[in-house]
Amino acid sequence: MSSNNEISVLLVDDEEYYREALARRLIRRGLKVAEEAGGAAALERLAREAPDVVLLDVKMPGLDGLEVLRRIKEMRPLTEVILLTGHAHLETSITGLERGAFDYLLKPVPLEELVEKIHDAWEKKSVQERKIKAVQADGVKP
Amino acid sequence: MAALLEKLKRLLGREEEPVQVEAGLAEEFKARYLSFRQLLAANNKALELMSELEAAAGGGRVFGMSFLRSRTTALGVSVFQMVDLLNRLAPDKYPALAPRLKQIQSELETILAPAEAAQGDELILLLSEIDQNRAEQAGAKMANLGEMRNHLGLKVPPGFVITAAAWRLLLAGGGLEHEIRRRQQTADLENAEELFTLSSQLRQLIVDAPMPPELGQALQRAYAALAAEAGGEVRVSLRSSALGEDSAEASFAGQYSTQLNVHPEFLEQTYKEVAASFYSPQAMHYRLVRGLRDDQLAMAVGCLAMVGGVSGGVAYSVSPLDPADRQVHLTAAWGLPRVVVDGEAAGDHFVVSRQEPHRILARVIEDKQSELVCHAGDGVCRLELTGPRATQPCLSEAQALEVAEAALKLEDYYGGPQDVEWAYDGQGRLVLLQCRPLRPAEAKAATPSPQLPATGPEPLTHGGVTASPGAGAGPMHWVRKDTDALTFPPGAVLALPRPAPRWAALVGKAAAVLSARGGAAGHLATVCREYGVPALFGLGPELEALAQDQEVTVDAGSRAVYPGRVEELLQRRQARPAFMSGSPVHQLLSRSLERISPLTLLDPDSSEFQPQRASTLHDVTRFCHEKSVKEMFSFGKEHHFPQRSSKQLFYKVPMQWWMLNLDDGFVREIRGKYVKLEDIACLPMLAVWEGMVAIPWEGPPAAGGRGLASVLFEATANPALTTGVKTRYAQRNYFMVARHFMNLQSRFGFHFCAVEALAGERRRENYLSFSFKGGAADASRRLGRVRFIGEIMEEQGFRVESTEDNLNARLERHEQEATLEALKAVGYLLMHTRQLDIIMNNPRSVAHYQDKIRRDLALIRSGQAEGQKALKPA
Repeated sequence: MSSNNEISVLLVDDEEYYREALARRLIRRGLKVAEEAGGAAALERLAREAPDVVLLDVKMPGLDGLEVLRRIKEMRPLTEVILLTGHAHLETSITGLERGAFDYLLKPVPLEELVEKIHDAWEKKSVQERKIKAVQADGVKP
Repeated sequence: MAALLEKLKRLLGREEEPVQVEAGLAEEFKARYLSFRQLLAANNKALELMSELEAAAGGGRVFGMSFLRSRTTALGVSVFQMVDLLNRLAPDKYPALAPRLKQIQSELETILAPAEAAQGDELILLLSEIDQNRAEQAGAKMANLGEMRNHLGLKVPPGFVITAAAWRLLLAGGGLEHEIRRRQQTADLENAEELFTLSSQLRQLIVDAPMPPELGQALQRAYAALAAEAGGEVRVSLRSSALGEDSAEASFAGQYSTQLNVHPEFLEQTYKEVAASFYSPQAMHYRLVRGLRDDQLAMAVGCLAMVGGVSGGVAYSVSPLDPADRQVHLTAAWGLPRVVVDGEAAGDHFVVSRQEPHRILARVIEDKQSELVCHAGDGVCRLELTGPRATQPCLSEAQALEVAEAALKLEDYYGGPQDVEWAYDGQGRLVLLQCRPLRPAEAKAATPSPQLPATGPEPLTHGGVTASPGAGAGPMHWVRKDTDALTFPPGAVLALPRPAPRWAALVGKAAAVLSARGGAAGHLATVCREYGVPALFGLGPELEALAQDQEVTVDAGSRAVYPGRVEELLQRRQARPAFMSGSPVHQLLSRSLERISPLTLLDPDSSEFQPQRASTLHDVTRFCHEKSVKEMFSFGKEHHFPQRSSKQLFYKVPMQWWMLNLDDGFVREIRGKYVKLEDIACLPMLAVWEGMVAIPWEGPPAAGGRGLASVLFEATANPALTTGVKTRYAQRNYFMVARHFMNLQSRFGFHFCAVEALAGERRRENYLSFSFKGGAADASRRLGRVRFIGEIMEEQGFRVESTEDNLNARLERHEQEATLEALKAVGYLLMHTRQLDIIMNNPRSVAHYQDKIRRDLALIRSGQAEGQKALKPA
């Protein structure tokens, strides 16, 4: 397992109090955390930065979370997105997964579990990256 | 990205030389192993959620719609992930699976969909145009009032109903409904602090919501018509009339708000306040424990011309306390009946005969201290009673008989005992304000309290009124304000200055309820009876002398409070009623479970084991798990990748056990054909192995096999491990290993077993699953063995399920060490329960083997078995 500070996380949630509290706790766990309050701002940031993992609220005013997810996966296919939401809705959750979300977690998520999920998402991303590298390396050998 | 994938596909083609693709293959295998691990994690989560839902259906816990929605959503997510991950391991190999899952999910969605809004979109209905058939729009209370007015010719106040459609319109504004559901999901309503916080937030949201203009206009028009009818300005009472309230199953006594003598200026504001009481703490808690669906309920509000009562109260058409007492019981007070309804004052008590001619059988006239009257401006106020009225009966004999007759008329009409609220107006006319079914006392609740021995303790206080019979004990907990409610410890005795309905949310957690004031007719008394919680009210100022946290025993039946725990009184405590069973939420769970939990894909070798045959989420998880294991095995072979092909285990001699290293299961890379035991780093596999070899197998249980077995025993440490030398390919035993993970697929003779375990540092993710199927003997003996093994596994702390001759045993969330210990037991059972089906019809042999197995398992746990010692390096 990697050490935590290699993992960068973007936290997107319009509930300021919740978002800031969670960001503080994730930072204390050694993660590198950036915050945005809305989908549009998050996409702007993603144009400049490539975090390993995005924690995304599904229901936010303005740009719909599922639409934000679709655009993130378009812009940054390797970035893993974990949907974190107060809405227990089967159809939304399945649409989210179909659009490439790593997981759909219902608030409240115990911090321990969330940190482990972030690690798992990061691991998937690194394996994916190594695989692509290896294929490229093998590809130039013959 | 797509180009890369194309390249990868080409590279993985068989015509390529293995040497050239090795780095790519190694990474590809790593990615597959990661997918496999994620699939297993999703499988575990799905199985845990299913068992949580099944446990909830089995009773014993309280759950609401948000529990049901969040668990089924999480389950849907896990199963979807499994299908997706299987598709990564075997692209496009099972095209029927995803559509099948989609079908099951959509059936579940249909079951769990929010209830359809009731018919009728009128925002306002006049009392003169409704009856019981409009309960879906007007709520039970107002529909009843309409029924009394329009079909029974009884006098009720003129007025109208602001309907359920109006409530929905109010909530739809500004997405309030979604916001409410979202906040509810994250709250634990069994926790008083969260309940009170959430309740206050939700009520605030509703009160702050803008009044929809069409509703505001309709309300003003209806009020103007009511005022015109009354000949000028009229004050009104706004009474909650929730859907589902006042049904025989659920009384909702006093859970919602009623506002009296409202000035027209405050009409809209007060409407929202009454509507908001849908989320009062007591109402939310009540719906939760009764399994009622918020989304099927709504809050209609009655707007009735205010009756400026001279006197008023409550009538019960039978005794609510004693099922043998069929007389009519009246409780009355001066002024508005609210003091009686809220349980604030005991009031005058009249017992009127059921038989005609009706006559007064008993009368208790209280010394009444105050009355509640309409304030000239807005609302109500309390006046001290001085002079002769304080001690005069507040009903004349004729009035008492008139009220009793009305109650009996209603009982006759509705076909069951009734609880009626009434008032006498300034002109001396009887006006009925409310009527609902009365839940009669349970027969056993009324059995007299056992007599205390003469040497028993002296009561701390006695007297008052039995509000709900029975006995209970616990520490005193005084609740005078909201903050006291937050710290109420379950099992305490709830002590109150007066029995206000707002404390109803605490009743279910209380051992007993005591109140200085109040009588048996109030709402809180009704709630206590409904919950079967003993309650003694009207104890007077003496109750105040009992200190916080003092341990007391309440005997409500004989109206006494004793110090400490008096076991003689507590022995007859009755079980609390199980509300959840059969409730709407419970029914919904049962229907959902039909699409979730039955396992019909049982046999992976059968031709029926097809994705299109999956009919439940459990089937889908079973299918994905089975196929993912197969896919992991076949990779190395299909891709000519020797490091990721299986190796034959070499332990003194080559064994019929094949090992596939998934990641870090070997201490080093093995290039050859064999892997030695000391090359294995997989902790779970080594634990299973230890259990297998710990105690030599005695051979098949029936006579005849023993000689052969002992010969084999001399050949190797444990003959069982080398049996089946000539087995077919399909009968080999396979281990897939990583350092903390193993999966074993094994065929011993005619039966099949699988063991899978993760024993790592994340305790939350650790698990051990053992499944087992088949056998050579007839069905009854095969089933006998399933039961036999199941019992032993349960003793070892496993959760066991069996379907036909399938056995599944699971252990979850244990520490690494405990998981490994359990794996040793599993290893032992794998070896020693083979062929036990043969003896299953012989009880004496069964007992013998049970005994032996228990002794052996204890020995293995101590680490002292012969085979275990031999494993330790010398």
